[in-house]
Amino acid sequence: MILSPGEYCELAKKPIVEIDCLEVWRQISNYVDNEVDPELRAAMASHFKDCAHCSAVLDGTRNVVKLVGDGKSFDLPAGASRRFYGKLDAHLAICRPKKLKS
Amino acid sequence: MATVRIQPEAEADLIARVCGGEHEAFYELVRPHERGIYMAALSILNNDADAEEVVQEAILKAFKAIGKFRGEAKFSTWIIQITINEARMKLRKDRRHLYESIDELRKGEDEGDYIPKDFADWREIPSEALESSRLRQALKQGLASLDPKYRQVLVLRDIQHLSIADTAKLMGITEATVKTRLLRARLMMRDTLAPGFDGAWRKGREYEKIRPF
Repeated sequence: MILSPGEYCELAKKPIVEIDCLEVWRQISNYVDNEVDPELRAAMASHFKDCAHCSAVLDGTRNVVKLVGDGKSFDLPAGASRRFYGKLDAHLAICRPKKLKS
Repeated sequence: MATVRIQPEAEADLIARVCGGEHEAFYELVRPHERGIYMAALSILNNDADAEEVVQEAILKAFKAIGKFRGEAKFSTWIIQITINEARMKLRKDRRHLYESIDELRKGEDEGDYIPKDFADWREIPSEALESSRLRQALKQGLASLDPKYRQVLVLRDIQHLSIADTAKLMGITEATVKTRLLRARLMMRDTLAPGFDGAWRKGREYEKIRPF
C-alpha cells in the first residue's frame, strides 16, 4: 500500500502498536497481499524485526505463494491438452455437414 | 509449457468468429485457459482422470453456450465457472458428497485460529528448485492433502491469480471467507513443504521431505 506524504507523516507521529504472534498469524496472508491498513502494516513490520518465529512464517508464506504461483509448478498430465477436446471433437464431427458423393 | 495470454480484443474477435460459425476458432480461444480449467476441476475432484473428464464436458458446454457469453465477466472466469459447476455435479453424481460434504464448500467463516506448526528458517527459495520433478510432485501432493475448501481457494487465488472478488463469486462465498480460507491454505501448504529443523533447503540437499497435512 503506497502512502501519500500526508498519510506517512500522520502515521510516523503515531506510536507503533504492539501486536502478538497470534494476531500476526491471523493477518499474515493479508500482509503478503498488501491488504492491511498502514497502522497494522507498521505494527507487523516492527514485530517481524523482533520475532524470528513470525519472520520465518512470513518468509515461508511468501515462498509458498511464489512456488504455487509459478507457471512451472503444476504440469498438465501428459497428453491431457489433446484429450480435453475429445467431446467437442465428437460433437463437431456429428454437426459438420457431410460432403455429398459426386 | 508457458501459457500465452490473448488480449481482450483478440479474445472478443475469436468469440465473434465462433458465433459466426468458425468453430475452429473456439480451440484457439480455450487453449490459453486449459491449465486454469484443469486446475479448477482438480481442486474440487482431487483426481486427474475425473478432472480431465470434467474439463472435456466443460469445454463442450462452453462451446454450446458461447452465444450466451455477453462479456460482462472475463472469458476465463466464465469458463472456470462452467468447470466448477460441472465438477460439483460430478461430485454429487458420484455420491462423493457422502464423504466430503459439498455444503462444506459453502460454509461461512472458519472457526478457530490456525497455528503454524513449523518455524524453521525458509528464507531462500532455490530458484532452480522448480526444475526438480520431486519438488513439483511435493507441491502436487501438498495441494492434494488440503481440505477441498482450502485447496479451491488456493488454486483460484494463487495458481489462477484471480482476484478476491472473482474467487468469492466463483465459490459462492464472501470475500472475508476467501481471505480466511486463503490464510489457512497458505499456512498449511507452508507447514507441508517447510524444510523442517534439519534445514534441507539451506544445506542445498534436493528436496525430499513431504509431511502431508
